[in-house]
Amino acid sequence: MKKIVVGGQMEKKHIASLIGKIAGDKASIKTMSDIEAAMAIKSGAADYYFGACNTGGGGALAMAIAILGLSQCCTVSMPGKIKSEEEIQAEIKSGKKAFGFTSQDIDTVVPIILKYIL
Amino acid sequence: MLKYIVVACLGALAAILSNTGIAVFNDGFRPIYPEYFEGKIDRKTLAATSFAISFGLVVGYGIPVSLAASIILIHSILLGTDIIGPFCPNNKRGMVIAGVIGALYGVGIVSGLQAVVNLFKMLPINFLTNLGLVGTPITIAFALFPAVAVALEYGLKKGILTAVATVLVRQIVSRYGTFPLGNSKVTLNQEGMALLTGMIFLIVYAVRDKKDASNANEQLVAVFGEKVKRIRKNVPLLAIMGGLIACATSMSVVAGDPISLNLLAKGEYTNAAMTAFARALGFIPLVATTAITTGVYAPAGMTFVFVVGLLLHGNPVLAFLLGAVVISLEVLLLAAIAKFLDKFPGVRKCGDNIRTAMTQVLNIALLIGGMMAAQAIAPGFGLFIVIGLFLLNKFSKKPIVEMAVGPVGAISVGILVNILYALGLYVVAK
Repeated sequence: MKKIVVGGQMEKKHIASLIGKIAGDKASIKTMSDIEAAMAIKSGAADYYFGACNTGGGGALAMAIAILGLSQCCTVSMPGKIKSEEEIQAEIKSGKKAFGFTSQDIDTVVPIILKYIL
Repeated sequence: MLKYIVVACLGALAAILSNTGIAVFNDGFRPIYPEYFEGKIDRKTLAATSFAISFGLVVGYGIPVSLAASIILIHSILLGTDIIGPFCPNNKRGMVIAGVIGALYGVGIVSGLQAVVNLFKMLPINFLTNLGLVGTPITIAFALFPAVAVALEYGLKKGILTAVATVLVRQIVSRYGTFPLGNSKVTLNQEGMALLTGMIFLIVYAVRDKKDASNANEQLVAVFGEKVKRIRKNVPLLAIMGGLIACATSMSVVAGDPISLNLLAKGEYTNAAMTAFARALGFIPLVATTAITTGVYAPAGMTFVFVVGLLLHGNPVLAFLLGAVVISLEVLLLAAIAKFLDKFPGVRKCGDNIRTAMTQVLNIALLIGGMMAAQAIAPGFGLFIVIGLFLLNKFSKKPIVEMAVGPVGAISVGILVNILYALGLYVVAK
């Protein structure tokens, strides 16, 4: 079972319920503040971080990048650009743990990310 | 003329701040700087990252929203200077180059907007007046966002309660809100009073919410103390930056967000200031935490400088001075503000929710506004284009920001009817 945290910063409830719907009992989901969620990844208490904001990298990942470093974070979608399924798969393979996206693209990208991490 | 000088200074200083890593506007760009300072990424990567995360927002969001109301959304300028700064070398010469390009860019955006507006005026079918309709739903619906924010955190019931109180106040004020005062009459603004009601509900709920209290921010300040010092060292430059933004706002040249921008365009200064204030509350947690962890501040700070500019409309000098004071206070109190937020976890969550709620209100209001404008410009054809654009945009790999579909759609309809007119495929119905 994967432990997933939903951190910064918008539409958190929506993301958490979407992950719950797709992952079923394959994942446990916790909604936290962005700082706590990033700390949870750092301390190993959680496996993956999800976050959304208007830019996919600002509120969504700012704390994750500051605490975990850029190398563990990936902006999956930003205004005007969504990563392809292949690109997302490659990011996950390379060890990315925190994923940020725009709130507009939640329903597109969350299922793809889950497909490769569960 | 004065407005070009102010915008040139604004662009120049903002580009210098991003060149030296003192302040950047994109909240997502701030955490990249420590990676650069620590040598984990090189200058080229820093610049490329900035371009990647900001350029789409300038073109797909900042400019369309600015065009529809003929006031510049600050994103158009400051996201551009975010890109200009890191592309210039990291030395004295680079700083000068950044300043010069930044100034030219700022002037270019303002004169470019003016040129496009003038160009539109020369078209055979003038759609500029109708284009203003894009902002109409916002100027009414903005009072709803506190109710949405309440619903997001505290559930539907409390959300409805807030919405009902908001609409009741709105109707009471619109019916009985005019008082005689001496020889003149005072009219309370219905939307403004409605917003105030909603905000009171939201703040009361948020302050009472003590669930999930933590000392996360206090820990942050302790761990990242050096970075807070770095920001403080730059107070003089940040003060000038904040002052310039407040000054430009007071001259109606720029605005900080699409809601207050459209209110400003309609001359509703107090409502614009109230909305900007609520939005600034929403940005405190985000700006404070990203600043504390990275040592990089934001040129507009926590965005209270826009409130100053809107309240002091027509007083650029006073706005400059007060804007400088406000942003300096933010920086000096940064650590204290962060610790204060620990004590009120509800207020922190409230910040996230205000931003989510404002986006949701804007998405729908700008879409409907875009449809209204498009329909007014070209009945039938207009609705067809905007609805088509909205639906097909969802399938795009490079979608337009949802918020911008309405404005972009309405502008496209205006241009399209002129093309069709030239081809003889469209006649003006009269």
